[in-house]
Amino acid sequence: MGVVVKKVELSWLDSTYVWPVLKGMAITFEHFIKQLFTPTSKRYTIQYPEMKKEMPEGYRGLHELKRFEDGAIKCVACFMCQEACPARCISIEAEEFSDLNITQGFEEKRPAQFKIDMLRCIYCGMCEEACPKDAIWLRKDYEVAAYDRLSMQYGKWDLMNTYSKVDGKDRITQDTTPTVPRRTIVM
Amino acid sequence: MFITFALITLLSALGMLLQKNIIVAGLFMVGAFFGVAGLFVLLANPVAAALQIIVYTGAIMVLVLFVIMMLNSHEEEKAQSPRAIQRWLSIAVVAALAVGAVKLVFASPGLKALAIRGAAMPEAMTLQKVGLTLFADHVLGFEVAGLLLLAAMIGAVALTKRNL
Amino acid sequence: MDKLASLLHTTPAIVWMALKIVIVFGGVMSLAAIFTWVERRGSAMIQDRIGPNRAALFGKIRIIGLAQILADGIKMFFKEDLIPTDANRRLFWLAPFLAFVPALLGFAVIPFGKSFMSGGHTYHLSVLDPGNGMGMLYPLAIGGMAVYGVLVAAWSSNNKWSILGGMRASAAMVSYEIGMSLAVVAIFMTAGGYDPSEIITAQGHLPWTWNVVRQPLGFIVFFTCMFAETNRLPFDFAEGESEIVAGFNTEFGSMKFSLMALAEYSHMMTASALIATLYFGGWQVPFVKDPSVMLSVACFVLKLVFFAWVFVWIRWTVPRFRYDQLMRLGWKRMLPLSMVNLVFHAWRMSQGH
Repeated sequence: MGVVVKKVELSWLDSTYVWPVLKGMAITFEHFIKQLFTPTSKRYTIQYPEMKKEMPEGYRGLHELKRFEDGAIKCVACFMCQEACPARCISIEAEEFSDLNITQGFEEKRPAQFKIDMLRCIYCGMCEEACPKDAIWLRKDYEVAAYDRLSMQYGKWDLMNTYSKVDGKDRITQDTTPTVPRRTIVM
Repeated sequence: MFITFALITLLSALGMLLQKNIIVAGLFMVGAFFGVAGLFVLLANPVAAALQIIVYTGAIMVLVLFVIMMLNSHEEEKAQSPRAIQRWLSIAVVAALAVGAVKLVFASPGLKALAIRGAAMPEAMTLQKVGLTLFADHVLGFEVAGLLLLAAMIGAVALTKRNL
Repeated sequence: MDKLASLLHTTPAIVWMALKIVIVFGGVMSLAAIFTWVERRGSAMIQDRIGPNRAALFGKIRIIGLAQILADGIKMFFKEDLIPTDANRRLFWLAPFLAFVPALLGFAVIPFGKSFMSGGHTYHLSVLDPGNGMGMLYPLAIGGMAVYGVLVAAWSSNNKWSILGGMRASAAMVSYEIGMSLAVVAIFMTAGGYDPSEIITAQGHLPWTWNVVRQPLGFIVFFTCMFAETNRLPFDFAEGESEIVAGFNTEFGSMKFSLMALAEYSHMMTASALIATLYFGGWQVPFVKDPSVMLSVACFVLKLVFFAWVFVWIRWTVPRFRYDQLMRLGWKRMLPLSMVNLVFHAWRMSQGH
């Protein structure tokens, strides 16, 4: 069975073509005028370098390693994210850094190196899920690009400082020793 | 000016004859038509020039080229083995025709009148004059030609349309 | 003018002629170039987009993207000039010129302003002075030549799509030419002359005495046929992205392509000039009986630009016709309509109007 094509019966006015074309021209002209007098900020097109799209809730972009108010890194180098990563792009080296005992409420482990290979990363957000300390999370930013492969290897300081300017924080290049216990352990 | 247009016409015609590729030959013919149109303008007859371009180059040659392009593509036709008698016969016929044409031109009363009066620039032809000539002086011939073309057109339609 | 002529050791007539040629063809060509930008920007606006607005002079002066024309030109200029292996090289070279020259030449007879007297001479504002005996037959003849550009381009590139596109485009152009010519003949009749300046004077300066009001049917036919003649949408059968790639200019690249594109836009300019001259009173300024020269030129340019814009506007309104629809429209609607128009006006004239 073939497809039955419905034939459209045109009224005499439509069959002259002139009137429908004029109607169509009115529609397009309306669009033209509307678009012409819409300010750039309200048009559908986002003029990229000047304007950026507001990404939706839950968008997974570039990672950030969070820090406490005193500047110490939140990460405790537990390797959970490295294990969880399906693309195996995270590599961590842990170090001990303080004599303060865990029983006193201080963490004594932190990453000496925290590398993410952005070329391999698939932005799945598993590291964020796996992190017990909420130390890594994926932000809404998406402009991850570079001219060579080496600059796509993000190290610890890159990941910690990427957003320092946006968030109004100081750039840090050295680990600060925590002064306050992070938690109270109920023994 | 005359020499320029005459050269355009003759060289294009020659090119058309010598060209093996039939499409290029057709384009040479268009060039020849243009030369003739230029000659018409020099003879103070721009209407004929315009009609020459509209009718011959704009319509007829387009259709001819159209059909040629539809039928064959880029192959150049191989020359058939020439026969001596054909060649000589054609040359003889063309020569006879040429001699006749030249004789006819020299014997024409217009040329004699021109020799007596001297060459004055004739008044420019206009579309109005063409219309008057066609519809007042030669109305019978015009109508007959029209009828003939109509019959040919109906015949062509009848031939191409299988089921009327 | 006289001073300039004596400075150059020529007569004022020749200086004036050269000046006219430069002004007319330079003007038409630059208008055509600007319209490539107008087309893209206008289509973008119609489709709620923005269009090319970024090309900037020296990387700074961004005049609403007008520098895009220059940028395109530079890009086209430096692109590799490819000729397909089996193409007919000479015709392939010739084709863009065959397309471009007739598109531009048609403008020569059109008066773009009022004639004026100065120092005992009458200066006519058209490249060919009125009374040349060719009149409006000239643009018709030259318009007919535009077919060769398409045909030669199509055939010489030795490409099946090109030939198909060129075939159907030239068939459309040839068949619409008839309806167009008949519509123009009706104007010759009512104006009592076939010189563009006569046609313009016959129309007068009041908008309701223009031919568009007197012969609305003829106007519709002529306008439609102009779209087919210039190969613009809804009748641009030379190309067709879905069926035959880019049609007759599939194989053309770099400067050849840009010449082809420029030919299309110059043809559009010539067509809108013809529409303005034949149906909208040419350089006549509405309600002004004796306009100054500059005013008449401005009015003509305004009309020209408006109709060119209508070409763009319709292109982004109406989709492409099917081939059989096009042929049916051409032969079964346009030809009888223009015939009816012609006979009606002949009858009216015989009644003494």
